[in-house]
Amino acid sequence: MSGEDLVLDTAIRDWVLIPLSVVMVLIGVLRYFVSKLMRSYQAPDQKVVRDGQVILRAGHLRAGANFIPPKTFYSRRTYFTNEENGILHVPKGQAQNAQAQMFSDPNMAVDMMKKNLSMIIPQTLTFAWVNFFFSGFVAAKIPFPLTQRFRSMLQNGIDLSTVDVSYVSSRSWYFLNLFGLRGLFSLILGEENATDDAQRMMQMSGFGFDPAKNLSAEKDSIDILQHDWALPKFEKRAEAVLRRIVS
Amino acid sequence: MAVREDLGVSEMKSGGDDELSMFNKENLQSNMKVIYYSRTFLSIIGGVIAGIWGFTGLTGFIFYVLIMGITSLGLAAKAKFSAQTYFDNWNRILLDGFFGGLMSFVLFWTFAYDIVHIF
Repeated sequence: MSGEDLVLDTAIRDWVLIPLSVVMVLIGVLRYFVSKLMRSYQAPDQKVVRDGQVILRAGHLRAGANFIPPKTFYSRRTYFTNEENGILHVPKGQAQNAQAQMFSDPNMAVDMMKKNLSMIIPQTLTFAWVNFFFSGFVAAKIPFPLTQRFRSMLQNGIDLSTVDVSYVSSRSWYFLNLFGLRGLFSLILGEENATDDAQRMMQMSGFGFDPAKNLSAEKDSIDILQHDWALPKFEKRAEAVLRRIVS
Repeated sequence: MAVREDLGVSEMKSGGDDELSMFNKENLQSNMKVIYYSRTFLSIIGGVIAGIWGFTGLTGFIFYVLIMGITSLGLAAKAKFSAQTYFDNWNRILLDGFFGGLMSFVLFWTFAYDIVHIF
C-alpha cells in the first residue's frame, strides 16, 4: 500500500522531514534550559511551609499507624484532628483568606507568567517558522489507515480532498512531534521536564492550590482511619520464622 | 534486558505478612519511575524497529503489544518474579505506562518508516 498514488521527492525528506524533527527536539532541549535559567528562587512563605510539614507529619502518622499502640495513636489523632485546637483543623472563614492572599501576592503571578511565557513563546515561534518555511508540503505518511475524520488533523495546510488520509502535511507533522516527543524528552532531560509540564497544567487550571483544602482532606482521612495494632501479630510471625530456621 | 540497569531497583522493605503491607513510598516511586523509563525507551526503540522493518497497519500495533509484553516479562524477571517485593500490585509491572508509550511509538514508527520506505 506504500505510495501507489503519490511519489514524494527525496528532497522533501532531506530538507523538510528531518530538519523539522531535529529542530523540534533541539527546541525542546533549549526550552528546558531556558526555563531552568529563568526559574527564580523565592523564599517560601512561613505559613505555607508549616502547613506542608503538618500534612507530611499527618501522612507519616497515617502510614505508620499500625506500628504504634492504640493509646498513642488515639492521642496523636486527637492532636491532629481535635475540633478545638487540632492542628489540622481549619477555622471557618480562613480558607477564603488564604486564596485571596495568593491572588494578591505579586511574586507568584510573575513567576507563573514567566513559566507560561517560556512555554508559549517558543511554541508560537516554532509554529510561525514552520508555517513560513514548510507550508504546503506533504511531508510524511503514517503507516496505518485512518478514516476521513482525521483529514483536518493530519492534512492541516493542504487542501486536497483526493489525497489519501494517511499522508501528513508538514504543519501536522509539527503537531505530531509536539505531542509525541514528550517521552523522548523525559528520557534525555530527566523526569523533571515531564513532571514540570503536568504541574504547570495543574497550576494553570486551578491557579495555585488551596492549603486549607489539603489540611481538611488530610484531617478527614485521619479521622476515618481504622487502627489495628500490628505488633501482637509480629510475635507469631517471629515465632514462625524462628521455627522455620530451627527446624 | 539490560536497559537502564544503572538506575537500579531499590528493594522495598517487605517484612510482615502478606495481608499487612508495608511500603516505603520513595522506593515505590523510584521503582515506578524505572518502569516508566523502560517503557518509554522501549517504545521509542520499538517504533524505530517497526519503521525500518516496514510494518504497516495492524502489524505495527501488534508489534507494539509484543514489545510491551516483552518489557513486562523483562521487568518481572528483574523483580525476580515476585512483584510483591517491589510493588503494591502486579498491574504495576504488567500495565503501567502501556498507553503512555503509544504516542512515542507511533511517532518514531512513522518517522523511520517514512525515511526508509516512502521516499
